Amino acid sequence: MENFMWLLHGFGVVFSLENLGACLLGSILGLIVGAMPGIGSLAGVALLLPLTYKFNPTTAIIMLGALYYSNMYGGAFSAILLNIPGDSPAVLTAVDGYPMATVKKRPGQALMTANASSCIGGIIGMLILVVLGPALAEFGLKFGPAEMTVLLLVAMTSIGWLVGGNPIQGVLLSFIGILVASIGMDVQTGTPRFNFGSIYLMGGIEFIPFVIGTVGFAQLMQLMDQKDDKVNAVTDKLTIRGSMLTAHDWKRLTPPSVRAGIMGTFVGVLPGAGATAASFLAYAMQKGFKSEEPLGTGAIEGIAASESANNAAAAGSFAPLLALGIPGSGTGAVLLGGLMMWGLNPGPLLFSTDPDFAWGLIASLFISNLVALAISLGIIPVLLKILKVPVRIMIPVIMIVCFLGAYASTYSMFGVVIMLIAGVFGYIFEKNDYSTAPMLLAFVLAPLLEDNMRKAFIATAGDISEVFFASAIATVLTIILIVLCAFPIVRTILIKTGVYTPKKKG
Amino acid sequence: MKRRFMLAITMMMAAAMVFAGGSSESGDGTFTPSRDVTWTCTSNPGGGSDIFTQEIKNAITNNGISDANIVIDYVTDGGGEVGRLNVSRTTGVRADHMLLTFNSGDLMPMCLNTDNRVENFTPLAIMAVDKQLLFAGDLSKYQSWQEVLDALAAGERIVIAGSKGDDIETYNALIKELGVTENQLAYITNDATSTAITSLLGGHVDLVLGKPAAAEQYVLAGRMKPILALSNERFPTELFKDAPTLDEFEGYDNVEVPVWRGVAAPKAMSEAAADYWSEVLRQVSETEDWQVNYIQRNGLISQYMDRHEAAEYMAQYQADYLAKIGKDA
Repeated sequence: MENFMWLLHGFGVVFSLENLGACLLGSILGLIVGAMPGIGSLAGVALLLPLTYKFNPTTAIIMLGALYYSNMYGGAFSAILLNIPGDSPAVLTAVDGYPMATVKKRPGQALMTANASSCIGGIIGMLILVVLGPALAEFGLKFGPAEMTVLLLVAMTSIGWLVGGNPIQGVLLSFIGILVASIGMDVQTGTPRFNFGSIYLMGGIEFIPFVIGTVGFAQLMQLMDQKDDKVNAVTDKLTIRGSMLTAHDWKRLTPPSVRAGIMGTFVGVLPGAGATAASFLAYAMQKGFKSEEPLGTGAIEGIAASESANNAAAAGSFAPLLALGIPGSGTGAVLLGGLMMWGLNPGPLLFSTDPDFAWGLIASLFISNLVALAISLGIIPVLLKILKVPVRIMIPVIMIVCFLGAYASTYSMFGVVIMLIAGVFGYIFEKNDYSTAPMLLAFVLAPLLEDNMRKAFIATAGDISEVFFASAIATVLTIILIVLCAFPIVRTILIKTGVYTPKKKG
Repeated sequence: MKRRFMLAITMMMAAAMVFAGGSSESGDGTFTPSRDVTWTCTSNPGGGSDIFTQEIKNAITNNGISDANIVIDYVTDGGGEVGRLNVSRTTGVRADHMLLTFNSGDLMPMCLNTDNRVENFTPLAIMAVDKQLLFAGDLSKYQSWQEVLDALAAGERIVIAGSKGDDIETYNALIKELGVTENQLAYITNDATSTAITSLLGGHVDLVLGKPAAAEQYVLAGRMKPILALSNERFPTELFKDAPTLDEFEGYDNVEVPVWRGVAAPKAMSEAAADYWSEVLRQVSETEDWQVNYIQRNGLISQYMDRHEAAEYMAQYQADYLAKIGKDA
């Protein structure tokens, strides 16, 4: 209850002209940088950070917080309309969003689903943040290297069957993702790996150019393959009225949004996990629940899970940042640097020494959530016009977007080279019906898994039992892992021995 | 007539081009910046190197030390090696307008993983020096350095978490002095000290090795406690003064691996420009902006070295490091 009083106090802080202005400006900029492939929240916040050094700290963090937050909305636009994720957390939004917009001819509803579930996820994340506050951050601390290792193993086991029906293909592409991710500096020993003498590869492959290539540029080459100049989607219903969700759609999107919102918040709190891992995990979790259509074919449930989780995680990642001064993600780390430059001392005392700042920021997240939602809904008809653009014009435009995005993420042509190479491979994979989503998931999760696993092994002197049963959390996660791995085997044995007969569809 | 006119125009344009790209040194041999200055920072915005760079830039602007328009360029490719290589290879008039944030934490991976060396740069100044401490967390099993020594003597295994670069060097010096193995006193490398602190607060490691600025708030909040100063004398500040140095324990010498923060430029920078920038940085080091907003806030030791001293210091630091890792210069 006391926290809600503080939240009200926070709203009092935000409702000043300059802070509301900062919130509005941050939300708009966040939508723009989110929608532009390559410039994600990390680059957006990093670019604007030096401009805010002269601001009052509360105004500055409100602007950057709003930018970070509304960026999660913007990422879905290009993912759904162009199949190019605007930001890394939107990768799985593209998996269902693009087919829903093009194959199912429901682009307006796909955008609406993304907006509605982003809002639901965000509100859930913020409410959990307000109610649990510092306790949420303490919960995150319980996840040490051992617990994170087992959690990531649980996530990795789901890759094979995450998208598409062929687990062998999934595993193969996962291995490619892991191999690509292992290029670069080995954090524990500080030596370069698989860089083949190239100074550029020493820092590893950046995710953004890699994903723009595998998804966006590959998509572009497929478009070039199509000889006809057909318009991508239907040309009618390009109004807000024609984009409205039906009652049945709402029924489909609400449960996954709520589930993903709760899970996403907790993933956002975990050290180093971030919004991308949250959206991947929520999507994997959704695979375990009933969806009206199979995920990956344009299912509302898939968009809802991915979008709700990434917004919730963005809210959740503020808990360790504000309560302990620990960044939950790359963007959090940049914000932490900002706190220092503004003259604040981020750490466990921030809530008590600067309540205006901490609660002002949390209150501003609520407002930026609503501002981002309102703007996103308002621009749906404008965005839908993109689909009317003929393919012959669309191709050069997407190509420029791909090049700019890849360049902007690293500020160098190295990003563009990576994007082009990834694009060629992405095209070959897609042409042969290999879904690239498992590769991207493995690429994101593998470095996290490696880092935590090696830390866990150093901490336990290589004792595996101490890793898997390090604590109650690790033990529970290990049991889940065993069940997940054993389930398909046991099921097959039961079917073969005739003990269990699966229900036939239809 | 027409031909002569054309020739004159061509000559004038050629002259304009020569002067536009020519030297920015004025007739008396002194240097003043004549174009935008690019300051390369090889880590991301918001990080330690960025804060260092921004604070110098602020001090230059706020105190009117130089009129140069400084643009910070973040080049993080190849773990920063691409940025350092680019700076080292810059020539011509651009070399006089190019600066690089260069720390001991940059020099070590550069020497370890590339052929680039301090000799390929013009060191301009060393601005500050930092030292580390060992901290116990509120959940740690050991709450004093004596307890740690007793535990090591009893054959127990202790895990320290810390950051990359300099922290690893200090850890190596510590285990060498203590005469223990990497297995007895293990070290977990983290991307940043904040990640190391996260594992200490969660009780997943025993100790954290870090700089005072990173730990200050946690010590104030009672979540962390400094138990050993890795320095030749105790830290003077109230918060850290209770942490003993290693030579206060019988049979051990102090361990101190100073971490320096400096500024370098391309090897091709002219003498006049190098003198100019070294002087600008000296003036920065004396401003209140710098002393209060950077040195005091980060618990650093202000130690300005001009370009000649800095060059000597960096070269010696590099020679010592190369000898330690068994590499030729």
